[in-house]
This record gives sequence, C-alpha cells and structure tokens, in this order.
Amino acid sequence: MFLIFALITLLGGLSLAFQKNLVVAGLCMVLTFFGVAGLFLLLANPVAAALQVIVYSGAIVVLLLFVIMLLSAHEEEEALKAHPIQRWGSVVAALALAGGAVKVVLASGILRSPRPVGVPPPMNLDALGNALFNNHLAAFEIVGLLLLATMVGAVVLVKRDL
Amino acid sequence: MEFLARLLHLQPQTFWMIAKVIIVFAGPLTLAAILTWVERRGSAMIQDRIGPNRALLFGRWRLLGLPQLAADGIKFFLKEDLVTTDANKLLFWLAPFMAFVPAMMGFAVIPFGRALVSGGQTYHMSLLEPGNGMGMLYPLAIGSVAVYGILTAAWSSNNKWSILGGMRASAQMVSYELAMSLAVVAIFLRTGGYDPHEIINHQAVIWNVVPQFFGFLVFFVCMFAETNRLPFDFAEGESEIVAGFHTEYGSMKFALLQLSEYVHIVTAAALIVTLYFGGWQVPFVAAPSVSLSIAAFVLKLVFFCWVFIWIRWTVPRFRFDQLMFMGWKVMLPLSLGNLMVQAFLMYRRG
Repeated sequence: MFLIFALITLLGGLSLAFQKNLVVAGLCMVLTFFGVAGLFLLLANPVAAALQVIVYSGAIVVLLLFVIMLLSAHEEEEALKAHPIQRWGSVVAALALAGGAVKVVLASGILRSPRPVGVPPPMNLDALGNALFNNHLAAFEIVGLLLLATMVGAVVLVKRDL
Repeated sequence: MEFLARLLHLQPQTFWMIAKVIIVFAGPLTLAAILTWVERRGSAMIQDRIGPNRALLFGRWRLLGLPQLAADGIKFFLKEDLVTTDANKLLFWLAPFMAFVPAMMGFAVIPFGRALVSGGQTYHMSLLEPGNGMGMLYPLAIGSVAVYGILTAAWSSNNKWSILGGMRASAQMVSYELAMSLAVVAIFLRTGGYDPHEIINHQAVIWNVVPQFFGFLVFFVCMFAETNRLPFDFAEGESEIVAGFHTEYGSMKFALLQLSEYVHIVTAAALIVTLYFGGWQVPFVAAPSVSLSIAAFVLKLVFFCWVFIWIRWTVPRFRFDQLMFMGWKVMLPLSLGNLMVQAFLMYRRG
C-alpha cells in the first residue's frame, strides 16, 4: 500500500514539473495531494487525510485551476528564458530540502527503538483540537493573525480604489 | 445472515462486507436511475403535461413511462461517440469518470439502518465502520473533489460556453462549501462527536432540525449549490450558455455526467437525513427493529430526493451575482452566527 501511494505522489509530482499544459499540470497536482492523503491514512491519521483533501485538493487547486482557465483559456504558455542562476538555485534548494528530510528521518527515535507492537489508535478530531488549542495555542493564534494580514493585503493590492 | 453466508460458503463478516459494497453502490445508482424518471414525470405533473409515455415494454405495457429508462439506456449505448476535433482528448475522456467516481464514493459513510446484532456479532449498516476517525469529514472531502469532473469537462471541451459553465460551477461550489462546513461543525458541537453513528444516536430524543433550524436552512441551500441543481444550476444554465459544461458531450459520456448529478442528489438527501432528520431513527419508537429503521431511512431519503426535484420545477434560476451575494453575505454570516450561538449555549451549560 505504501508503495502505491508513494508512486502516485511521486509520479504526480514529476508530471506536474514536466507537464507543459498548465491545466493538466494542475490536475497532476491534485493527484499528488491524493497520494499524500493516502500516505496520511497509512500513518493512522484519517483526520489529516480528510483535511488534506478538503483544503488542498478541494479548495486551493480549484482556485488555482480557476485562475489558469480564466487567464489563458487554451493556448499554451510560451516558456520564459530560464536564467542559469534560477536553475542552480533550484538545485541547491532541492538538495537542502532533501538533506533536511533525510536528517529528520535519521534522527527520529523509531529507527533506534524496536518497532511498536500493534496498530496505533487512529488520530481523531478530539486529539487534534486538544493539540491545537491546548498545546500550541500561541502558534495557532499567530498563524490566524498572519492569515488575516495576508487577506487584508490581498484585498488592498487588488482593489486600488477602496 | 449466517444462513445466507453459509449458503455461499463465506464467513458472515466477509459476506456482510461484500453485501454492503453491493448495497452502497447499487442502491444510490438504482435510485438515481429512478430519479431521472421521477424528474420527467414529476415535472410533467407540476407543469400540467403528460410526460414520457411512448416507450412500451414488449410493445404492450406502458407502466407510467417507466420503460423510458430502458429506452434511454439503449439509446445512450448505441449512439455515436463524438469528440470535437479541438478538444483535449485525454481529459475529455477522463472528465465523466472524474465526475462519477466521487459521486459514487460519498454514500459510503452514511449509516442506512440500525446495527444488526446476530450470533454475538454486530453488523453495522454503513460501509465505513464507526470509529474510523474520518467520520463526517469524509463526505465533505469527497464533495469538495466533485467539482473537478465539471471543471475538467468544461475545459477539455474547448468551447466558450463550456468554460463559462465550468467557471461558474467552481466559483459557486467553493463559495458555498464554507457555509456548509460551518453548519456541519455546529452539529459536531451539539453531538460532541463527528461520527455519523454518534450523530444519529444523539438524535434519539429530538431531531437536530429543531434545535439547529438555521444550520439546517444553510445546509439545505448549500446542498443545492453543491449538487448544481436549480435554483443554482449555473454550470448548465440552458437559457444562457447552451448547456454549460456538458455542451459537447453525447452518448454514454453525457449519461455518466447526468447520472453523477442524480447520485449527488441521493447523497445530498442522505446527508440531510443523517445530520438533521435523525437518520434511521423512527419518531415515537424508542428502539425500532432493524427492518423498520432501514424503512424509515429509505422513506426519508426518497422524500428529500423528491424535494430536490420539486424545487427544481418550482423555483426559477437566480442571477449569478445574486448567487454570490447569497453565498457570502447571507449564508456565511448565518452559518457563523449559528455556530457562535451554539458554542455560547454549550459554554453556558458548562
């Protein structure tokens, strides 16, 4: 099961990067998000899987595709001349990300201690709510404030004459 | 249960799992097929017409136009399958499936009857067992994916009317999803859980529609927007944009798009029944028998399916700016206010 979802995620991501057609690329992004949702399910976290589908596949990519379709109805975008510095920058960023991910995996305790026996109980909304509003309340509030500021900024940018 | 399982040489649990899959897939599909007939006969009834009555079974029986279903099916399968030259072939083919699969998946979480206890084993009447951790988030997730079928169908047709329909559909579904989710969250608050089985058990004394009337109102209206039905069927809007997102579709592909709309109606009706009308609970009967509970659920389900059709032929289509106004300035504040009041009441009660 893990291999199936991992393959879905990877293939979706790869075709997203190499697809010329913007709308097809957007749909590949949806596929990637579905793969990630499946991985969440395998990690016994159905809440995260559901939220992944609701927020990312259901709302964000829909808006993205909406804008793509609105701007360029059908013709494919002429690719911009790639700057070499962008290419090298992307390689460095990808390497840094990959290094960080590998380091996190190697540092986790599960590799050292023996595997826990049995299936862990699935995550549910109660646990998520407790984590958000008891343990990480400050971070939650700060993120909310940030999002509000972003929204106000977007409105101001779009509507010049308020 | 044991007897049937033994007849097929299966474990009772395995048998029940297979039976559930068949029920959950065939039930809404059959109901959707019947709904297409109800829609035409019902519209005829409302508009004082006769409706389809020419198809005869074996050239003899008229059966109130029911053979029209078979005639439609045969016609859809035998029609020439046209794809316009400038369409994106792959997506044009995929779109009907992208519409149909999420539509069929939504029903899996709905409990359609009281759990059956037999031979020391409990058989739950829903495809997803209670306590799976997904609960009512599942239909919300599936419902939010349903828009891709319409969007892809619209874009891949390479037709201006289609793209207009797709744009309208996506804007509408995203706008109404917020108010709908908030209405559902108020139910979660009231129940203290988000599993559909818990929600139904909690409604044993009083159905949620009474204490959560405004939540019900918002959810009901949002369901029309989510299923793209009149008065919110801007994705099609025949009088304005030909037939919207499925202008270029014919034969079985069109049938799939149309069927998925009806399956959405069935799922939406099931959600309304589960969240606000007590699911399989029977009024004034404390512990209904299993068959009675299933009958009650089906009765409520069919009634709300009929309400969807009834409203389609009674209420005229809104204008698009009216729809957006209603979504953001009426439904969302109403839903938020409802949630706040519910939270405040819970706080007062302690």
